[in-house]
Amino acid sequence: MATDDGLASGDSDAQAPKNPFNFQTQFISTGPVKSHQIFQEPPPRPPPVLPASLPIPTFKEAWASMQRDQRARLCWCCCHAAVAMYVFFSAEGSLAMTALSHLVFFDVGSAAVCVAVDVLGNFEVWRRSSIRHPFGLQRAEVLAGFAMSVFLVFGGSISSRTTSSTFSRPSASTPRTTRPPRTSPTITAAAAATPTPARYVSPGTVDFASLAAVVSTLVSAYGLRNHSRIRRVMRVPFPYLASLLPGAGILANPFHFLTLCFSFLLLLLPLVSLAHFVWLDAVICAAIAASMFILGTRLAVAQGLMLLMSYSGLPTTTTISSSSTNPSSKSKPFPSSSSSSFSAATTTTTAATTTTTTVSSVVRELESEPHVARVEEAQFWQVHYGLAMANLKVRLARGTGSGGSDDGTLSQVRARLARVVQNRLGEGYGRGGNLRWEVTVQTCSDG
Amino acid sequence: MTEKDSRRIFYFMSLNLTFMMIQAFYGYVTDSLGLLSDSVHMFFDCVALAVGLFAAVASKWPPSERFPYGFGKIETLSGFGNGVFLILISVEIMTEACERIWEGRETKRLGELFVVSTLGLLVNLVGMMAFGHHHHGHGHDHGHSHGGHDHSHGCNGHGHGHDEKHDHSHGGHSHGHSHDNENMHGIYLHVLADTLGSAAVIVSTILTHFWKWSGWDPLASFLIAVLILLSSLPLVKSSARRLLLTIPPEIEYNLRNTLSGITGLRGVVGYAAPKFWIDDRNAGEATPANKLLGVMHVVAARGADMEDVRDRVRNYLLGHNIDVTLQVEREGDTSCWCGVGRSPLSASHRVTHSTSIF
Ligand SMILES: [Zn+2]
Ligand SMILES: [Zn+2]
Repeated sequence: MATDDGLASGDSDAQAPKNPFNFQTQFISTGPVKSHQIFQEPPPRPPPVLPASLPIPTFKEAWASMQRDQRARLCWCCCHAAVAMYVFFSAEGSLAMTALSHLVFFDVGSAAVCVAVDVLGNFEVWRRSSIRHPFGLQRAEVLAGFAMSVFLVFGGSISSRTTSSTFSRPSASTPRTTRPPRTSPTITAAAAATPTPARYVSPGTVDFASLAAVVSTLVSAYGLRNHSRIRRVMRVPFPYLASLLPGAGILANPFHFLTLCFSFLLLLLPLVSLAHFVWLDAVICAAIAASMFILGTRLAVAQGLMLLMSYSGLPTTTTISSSSTNPSSKSKPFPSSSSSSFSAATTTTTAATTTTTTVSSVVRELESEPHVARVEEAQFWQVHYGLAMANLKVRLARGTGSGGSDDGTLSQVRARLARVVQNRLGEGYGRGGNLRWEVTVQTCSDG
Repeated sequence: MTEKDSRRIFYFMSLNLTFMMIQAFYGYVTDSLGLLSDSVHMFFDCVALAVGLFAAVASKWPPSERFPYGFGKIETLSGFGNGVFLILISVEIMTEACERIWEGRETKRLGELFVVSTLGLLVNLVGMMAFGHHHHGHGHDHGHSHGGHDHSHGCNGHGHGHDEKHDHSHGGHSHGHSHDNENMHGIYLHVLADTLGSAAVIVSTILTHFWKWSGWDPLASFLIAVLILLSSLPLVKSSARRLLLTIPPEIEYNLRNTLSGITGLRGVVGYAAPKFWIDDRNAGEATPANKLLGVMHVVAARGADMEDVRDRVRNYLLGHNIDVTLQVEREGDTSCWCGVGRSPLSASHRVTHSTSIF
């Protein structure tokens, strides 16, 4: 499985020699002349090089390259955005509705990111590495996820600001909700001074805005299968819900879940009386704000860690890790300070306990391989959702690979190290995303 | 240098926090919504400052197992986050302002607003002085450069490790590596936005006092929002480029030359999967500008000594300021994922190659 991946991507990298630039051809001819080694094959190989940079598609090119389903997705994004606008502008006077509109806007944004990623995937610059973009543009997906998480935090902060000012003056009628930050004193005071009637849907009628939010979220999640895509992009460690109801589809993506939950709540809101309405409205707004804030920070941390070029180990279940080939799996339980400790605590009822394969445990395993004396430097980091790098500096055991006598051994050792890394950290087993590891081993022998 | 930065952030954050508490207290006592709402805003300012402070401090942390390349990117990340936040804020202000011009809501409680925003203006002016100097004078006040960038590298690249510990504290001359501190820039922009916001409120309050038109305040906030938006776009762009690990054009040019020289080294047949990124461990300190880190696979000719080839290529690249993890493969070995040995070795290869150029 892992090697298949490696081959597949290796091919994409192997395309590089097929169209190098002009200036390299000159070195092809000079190369063998300088080296006075004996050559079995006279025709020298062109060096596999990268293009300096690949063209970034313009908007027009992107539009032209779109396939039918991609265009349909984009259309739906526009519809979804229209719904979000509708919710936002019909939210006059209701705190909760404005907060909900932020959630819907977030859903629109993440769906749009998915479409953009899809369309950019049509172009070479997205995947292929060049000198200017050594990892293609795929890291942009992570960056977009980070920006979306900032949007969540922003929405949370705005909602909480309005809520707090409402709670501080419960006697005042519900002020107009969205309020910009610093320039806000005017607006706040103005809104408080002019008593806008609270948005109140008379009992028995249906609140169209929240209904629209529910329908559009459902269509987006299931009709267009954005659900799993967004989950892949916005992979937020969210063990609480997952451990409560394992396998429940809608819970796997906390954002759609939140939107649905709160819009159902708001659908029920017209059933209560006006006095309760104002109070409940503020409470729901606070709840939305808090969940946006919490989710946003978690998401920001998850994406930010990747952007900081780090790798934090792979949480696995022991059932999986015990079924793997190596009996001495050195995966140790996650330290209690880490973010996944909750899942370790909650899943004690089930058979599988969550542990983590840390980098150091993998390094120890690598060191236990034959011919490997020591791993002197190990740099593991994740580039984007689909790719991670392991750069190892390995000191070989005495007598291995010295003098170029046993190239085969060396190549075997390298292959074995790469396989261990891919097997241990590859996220292979049905976890949605498949993480490919590019392993580079710099060897150094004792002799 | 960054100690100075983080101290600045810390002082301003304390000032903000104190002011926030005073504001919240008076707001509660006098039942003033404007004061309360402004103190909530101040709270979020403090949160943003705390994030910036954390970034400034964390950027000095050494690399670890989990963060093999250190925390050099964390300031860029904080700057990016701040920039995106500012853009969102300005969009929000703009829609709000449009709505209010449309509806023509009246502004009341002018006196209270005036006091609140004047106080806010004062606090933020202090912030402007703290951060603005830094932002503009980044090149000047750390100007005196010291020469010795000689870094004698050992075989494993540890040699320059001790070099960084000497804390020369004055970066390579005049920021040739174009490392503008995005964290400080983001904080500066936020403070600037707040200052302009307060000023806008003051001006519009005065205007409303003399000419009764309800549109002054939304108009002023709209203009300010446009300004904020325009000023934070470059920050977002530049920090995004760095977070995407893009190689800047001027480095790219040199890198291309360097790479094309590799095949000229003795014993080297070809190379594959070259990937380089800018090393921003201890950015702005004694490390030479534009140092690159990277990964490469090199094919050694049959009969060439692998260790020899490794050292030669590594030293060549180190001479060009690139520290690389180098995997040396034997010619004809097709087992690696980089696929370097997998290209056809037939004589016709060259022909197909030359036809396939563009
Ligand atoms: Zn602010
Ligand atoms: Zn290779």
